[in-house]
Amino acid sequence: MNLTLNINGTVHSVYCAEGDLLLDVLRRLGFTSVREGCGVGACGSCTVLVDGHSVSSCLTLASRCSGTEIRTSEGLGKDNPVVRAFVDEGALQCGYCIPGFVMMATELLSENPHPNEKEIADHLEGNICRCGTYREIVKAVLLASSSASN
Amino acid sequence: MSSEVFSLESQDGNAVGQSWKRTNSESKVMGTFRYTADLPVPKCLYLGVHRANQPHARIDGIETESAMAIPGVVKVITGADLYDALGENLFTGPAFSDQPPVAWQRVRYVGEPVAVVLAEDLATARAAADEIYVEYEFITPVLDVNAALEGTDYVHDELRPSAVFPDLRHLMGKRDTNVNYEYNLIRGDSETAHQEAPVTVSGEFWTPPTSHVAIENFSASAWVEENRLELVSTTQTPSYVRQAIATMLNLRLNQVRVRTLGLGGSFGSKMYDRLEPLVAAIAWTQKLPVRLELTREEAFVLTTRHGVAVSSRMSADANGNIVAATADVRYDTGAYADIGPRIAAKSGMVACGPYRIENAKIKSRCIYTNKPSAGPFRGFGVPQVTWSHESLVDDLARDLGEDPARFRRRNLLREGDVSPVGTVMHSADFIGCLDAVTEAIGWTDPLEKIEGSWKWGRGVAVGIKAVLTPTVSNAVLQLNQDASATLLISTVDMGQGSDTIMAQIVADVLFLGPDRVRVINPDTDVTPYDTITAGSRSTYHTGNAVKKAAETMRDRLIEIAAKQMGVSASDCKLAPGGVISSSSQRLISLEDLILSQFGAAGTTMTAEANFTTEWVPYDRTTGQSTKITEHWFAGAAAAELGVDTRTGRIRIRHLAVAGDVGRAINPALVNQQLLGGAIMGMGHALFDEIVFDQGQIVNGTLLDYQLPSIKDMPEKLTPIIVENPHRTGPFGAKGVGETGLIPIAPAIANAVRDAIGIRITTLPLTPEKVLSALANQGNK
Repeated sequence: MNLTLNINGTVHSVYCAEGDLLLDVLRRLGFTSVREGCGVGACGSCTVLVDGHSVSSCLTLASRCSGTEIRTSEGLGKDNPVVRAFVDEGALQCGYCIPGFVMMATELLSENPHPNEKEIADHLEGNICRCGTYREIVKAVLLASSSASN
Repeated sequence: MSSEVFSLESQDGNAVGQSWKRTNSESKVMGTFRYTADLPVPKCLYLGVHRANQPHARIDGIETESAMAIPGVVKVITGADLYDALGENLFTGPAFSDQPPVAWQRVRYVGEPVAVVLAEDLATARAAADEIYVEYEFITPVLDVNAALEGTDYVHDELRPSAVFPDLRHLMGKRDTNVNYEYNLIRGDSETAHQEAPVTVSGEFWTPPTSHVAIENFSASAWVEENRLELVSTTQTPSYVRQAIATMLNLRLNQVRVRTLGLGGSFGSKMYDRLEPLVAAIAWTQKLPVRLELTREEAFVLTTRHGVAVSSRMSADANGNIVAATADVRYDTGAYADIGPRIAAKSGMVACGPYRIENAKIKSRCIYTNKPSAGPFRGFGVPQVTWSHESLVDDLARDLGEDPARFRRRNLLREGDVSPVGTVMHSADFIGCLDAVTEAIGWTDPLEKIEGSWKWGRGVAVGIKAVLTPTVSNAVLQLNQDASATLLISTVDMGQGSDTIMAQIVADVLFLGPDRVRVINPDTDVTPYDTITAGSRSTYHTGNAVKKAAETMRDRLIEIAAKQMGVSASDCKLAPGGVISSSSQRLISLEDLILSQFGAAGTTMTAEANFTTEWVPYDRTTGQSTKITEHWFAGAAAAELGVDTRTGRIRIRHLAVAGDVGRAINPALVNQQLLGGAIMGMGHALFDEIVFDQGQIVNGTLLDYQLPSIKDMPEKLTPIIVENPHRTGPFGAKGVGETGLIPIAPAIANAVRDAIGIRITTLPLTPEKVLSALANQGNK
């Protein structure tokens, strides 16, 4: 089937099978920030925003995303406050899971511009950083929160 | 010269000791950074693997017709096909040549590859693999280490040590055993010392197998180009893989090219023979480009951490000196030896801990069972023996009525002491680490021990590990005419930050600022041999090679500048901005220097260096060696935690971890390694565990397998860098990749014992286990 997907503000026309996952379609289009860590929605590495809400793209059918606005971390740009905060706090080690955290943080800050540490932990709980960068990630979200309001 | 090579101070290039931002931070955060699976490769056929559903069986027949009938399926390959083509070379492994990439005649664990589908797309390959049917003849499996030692069923008919290692050769062809390696340490007379000692403690300890779960999964692609094999793989051991594949396929080393980009974590999982023998054997024998990507479920059966049983005893005299230690260590290595024999030795030699003990007896065995092959995992078997010795030392102190930290402090090895393995200690500040963590958590501060159903306690533990020795590292440094540099090394940056550290070392020696040194990803056609990126060895070993190459470059720049300025080389030195003559105060920039030397823009200068370590092989009877290792890792952890006696739940209020890193090249990255190790260790302490039922993993998905999440974090985490410079480290530095993990589980368990008065000897400390221990305590 032919599908029109709006990804990071650009419209892409793609051919895909009915059962194709959003994860696979995004990767085929070159959005490699979207990564399969578990395939069962338990690690958060494939997180993207669909109409502003976080979804595990490994559990989402691409065909259901027609007519929505999809955002991946590539689309945020390097001057985005969340991206800057993660870089400035050194909130990464291998970096593989980080785009998923960045998208979750983006969603959180849009809903709650000034979260406290507990609210941050509640929101990011579903994402796994096996390198154990959680302390820096919390600091990065706090920094993004304060820099966005300045 | 040697004093220059090993100068401990930063050479004022203002890079060493600075917390430079991690290389590629921005692209990693934005998601544009390319990992290995993102590297463009030719259009490949995808592989789908049909895996054994029996722990031990003879293969009587493989039915592939229904798989072949599926549109898009090109071929099905079995172990017999590969054996016909490659013969005994099909069996590979870093210590024993015992593992075929696809089972031949016999399967030895649930999940072992039995047949491989080649198809035009991934979904078809996987679907077709499910259609394959295998006829098995059941063989009694060996499901745990005790059955393996006591029974008469054997995983392998005979031992097949790799012919490369002289110390394993005597095992060749040995039959009727599941023990593929046994290391013995004997010092003094431990039996008499135990008998004469007033206080002896003992225990039966168990650490379960665990999974690495690097979030980046395994992938590999292989294809033939001209008469060469090209391989792109998620490996932390590209130099090893090139050698292993060349041997398997009987190719020259320059006919095998192995490439890897940055890895999305590894923790020991992506090393030695993983997917590479399988994709290489199929690509080479079929002359087809192939690609294999594992599912998370497949990754669970690819490699695990060793489950380890330890029966141990420790005795002290009336003055509180440890006088004897005995340990029987059994590593469950699964169906194939992998690096298990080396793990059994390297961990066995520290199984009585970093203490002054005159009488020690350790037997450490690597044992086959019909389970997925266990391999290296951050700590290389040491966390499992640390679980034993740090529990025992704690019990000894408590039985003597002494503070466990003070008891350790008196007995810990100091600079110049001879360790139980016979090697003199240097640059391993256990006491500094112990003091740092106890101070951090307020060890001597008053503690409210009971709050409602919660009971609170504090615990401490130390850890010791020897760095892999002997090993080889090489570096090739290219200085470009514009004073940028390109560094060629085969160290794999998998999140530990080696690309950043190595760039800092070059920048420091050559006075280059940040972003001027580019580190090339491993490509065995381009980057020189490096033993492995593992065992926390890169900062010291590759770092030394890199520093030597940079110093050679510096000396050549000075020589050239001296000629150009007409002064002696001893009058010149490298400084910010170029080479300066002390007598004339004239400065030549590196750009001008290289431009005038070669008369062209864009030219390059190349320097290379090798760094190789040596050891004295241990005595086969006593395990003793005057130089067992190039250096030691020393670490400590302390925890303050609560146990909810109603639910068995453990809540960590403060976890402090310290490591003696010699010298921190990049303190921010060192702290992340310490904390990352501590968090992983906390998972091992509290819930991380692969659960088996009759040889079958029953929790091999991330829905079932629990990993530390942001909500599992201790309320407070304190990393502490202890710097006790190593005399031959680059700027005094050693590694830190494993130090933070090793003492965590016993520190937590010792705090649990402090809180509720119960010694739990099996990991993990789940709420169920704590509750049942409390119930048993109540019944006594």
